[in-house]
Amino acid sequence: MRRPASSMLLTAGLFALPLGWALLLLIVPYLLMIAVGFWTRQFPLFVPDFQFGNYLQLFSDPQYTTVILRTLKIAAMVTGCALILGYPLAYFLVFTLRSDRLRNLIYMAVIVPLWVSYLLRAYTWKIILGTDGALNSALIWLGLIDTPLDAFLYNQTAMVITLTYIFVPFMVMPIYAVLENIPKGLIEASEDLGIGPLGTFRHVIAPLSLGGVVAGAMMTFCLSFGDFVAPVLVGGPDGTMVANLLQTQFGAALNWPLGSALATLVLIMVLAILGLTGWAERASARNLR
Amino acid sequence: MTRRRTARALTAFALATLPLAAAAGELNILTWEGYADPAFLKPFEAASGCTVSATYVGSNDDFAAKLAAGGGVYDVITPSLDTVSMMRLAGFVDPVDTAAVTGAEGIYPEFAKHPEIVVEGETWAVPLIWGSVSVIYRPDKVTGTPDSIGVLFDPAYKGKISLWDDKSAIYWTARYLGFPNIFDLSDAELEAVKAKLIAQKPLIRKYWSSAGELTDLMANNEVWVSNAWTGLTSKDVNALGKGFTVAEFSPREKAEGWMDSMMLVKGTPNQECAVKFMSYMQSPEGQCGIAKSTGYFPVNPGAVASCMDAAMKAERKVDNIDFVKSLVMWQQPVRLDKYLEVWNAVKAAP
Repeated sequence: MRRPASSMLLTAGLFALPLGWALLLLIVPYLLMIAVGFWTRQFPLFVPDFQFGNYLQLFSDPQYTTVILRTLKIAAMVTGCALILGYPLAYFLVFTLRSDRLRNLIYMAVIVPLWVSYLLRAYTWKIILGTDGALNSALIWLGLIDTPLDAFLYNQTAMVITLTYIFVPFMVMPIYAVLENIPKGLIEASEDLGIGPLGTFRHVIAPLSLGGVVAGAMMTFCLSFGDFVAPVLVGGPDGTMVANLLQTQFGAALNWPLGSALATLVLIMVLAILGLTGWAERASARNLR
Repeated sequence: MTRRRTARALTAFALATLPLAAAAGELNILTWEGYADPAFLKPFEAASGCTVSATYVGSNDDFAAKLAAGGGVYDVITPSLDTVSMMRLAGFVDPVDTAAVTGAEGIYPEFAKHPEIVVEGETWAVPLIWGSVSVIYRPDKVTGTPDSIGVLFDPAYKGKISLWDDKSAIYWTARYLGFPNIFDLSDAELEAVKAKLIAQKPLIRKYWSSAGELTDLMANNEVWVSNAWTGLTSKDVNALGKGFTVAEFSPREKAEGWMDSMMLVKGTPNQECAVKFMSYMQSPEGQCGIAKSTGYFPVNPGAVASCMDAAMKAERKVDNIDFVKSLVMWQQPVRLDKYLEVWNAVKAAP
């Protein structure tokens, strides 16, 4: 049966805006970025071209590989730390806390920092971790150290701490959501069958919450992979990440072609990671059935 | 034919050269910290009817970057002499009619008639202020009286050294290594500079990217020694009264000199306010105002005759243009891209 014209018009009207938005602000810019990646830098600016020199430079100059590997490492560490902190917290909120009011309060406490400017929160860590900062002052007051330690700020540890703090809500939220949706009957059934809490966690809760873990890990990983503020504020001389390289190429170096090639490479990597996690999630879902 | 047209359309789109016209009577300047202090800008705004808003850059490479990404936002920029030619060649600026700028005739001719500023009879910039780059340090932490760039490479100060996040790190290292032509280093010399800078990284606490950041680093005990824009950071840190003071010195390997000048962004709708601003900055209020807020040296000796005492005139090298000869004045590196690549490689290194 053919749909009446009015319904088709309605459908078109309904989706024209989001589709137009996606086309104009996502697809077209990506295509532009990929195109500019083949241009040539020519002092003082750059000229349209079609050549692979930019990609050749990205693979032959070790500075880009170094930074990409470092960024992957930092993002993986942040994801790991956020999971170690976020999963038990979500578990505690859903299964251990009996009071709904307290649960909502703590959940809100996890979410509320997201309303505060990212920059402000990153700056706060500078004040905490600095040579004259709160952490050093506390340690001196406790008599644990005599002179302030330099080791807390302006290094990769400070970056991991700051990024974990900033992105942990993105880990807690999806895990909380899946844990909350696990039917309590399943857990009770497992307990009735004489399975201990650890066994119940291993065989019931963990597999059923895997979707939330994957979603949270993916968000945390991608957000920290693309971060450029933490390296500038709390990172040291060895803190440069991919996004900082992009900023330099589009800024000071004024080499948009090389920057676009690097951005395309990053896009491909992120898409590969997304594809891989999607595949892993589907595979684990198949195993559950 | 079609391909070329597509490419041209892409260029136009990518460069986003569509000027977003700023409202009339409103002057947007892209400039350095301390160059838009309310102490001297308020009287200008009251007298001219032009309101001024300033955006700050952290290095000379920021000017082209900001202008390439839609420059119509700014009316006046103040790059250093080594960046003036690039602004002109990239088509970011219009020539200035110096006859309309009151007081421009009082500027040191060494600056006003500099070959990078006057090209084929056209003037592209109006000098504003000049100065040097020296080493700033904590006399209570650094032993003896340092006189060499070597203090920035001294393992005794591991973790307490900072350096400007700028291609000039190459100039400093080249001078320290004894390479004379720091703006035209060979590949081998650049490799040596790069190796030296990478070897220095474990000693570095943080590369600073704005005067405010360096002030924070010095004031909060994070670093004891760095290179710094002479005058500004030492004035700001010492004004905080932290229980210690900082001092500066010109290294025996020579200090760098720079001169910043005002340029007119191409097609600015606020040309009238821009010219009024340039004129004001050549007046006693403008020259003394910016010299006071920055600690730098005025370019217009006549203008400051009435507003500086003899001691300050001596300190700010008024009528002492010979001081320039003791400095290595910044020039655009012959291979700018290569220099930026080397500096980026240093920052990316582990």
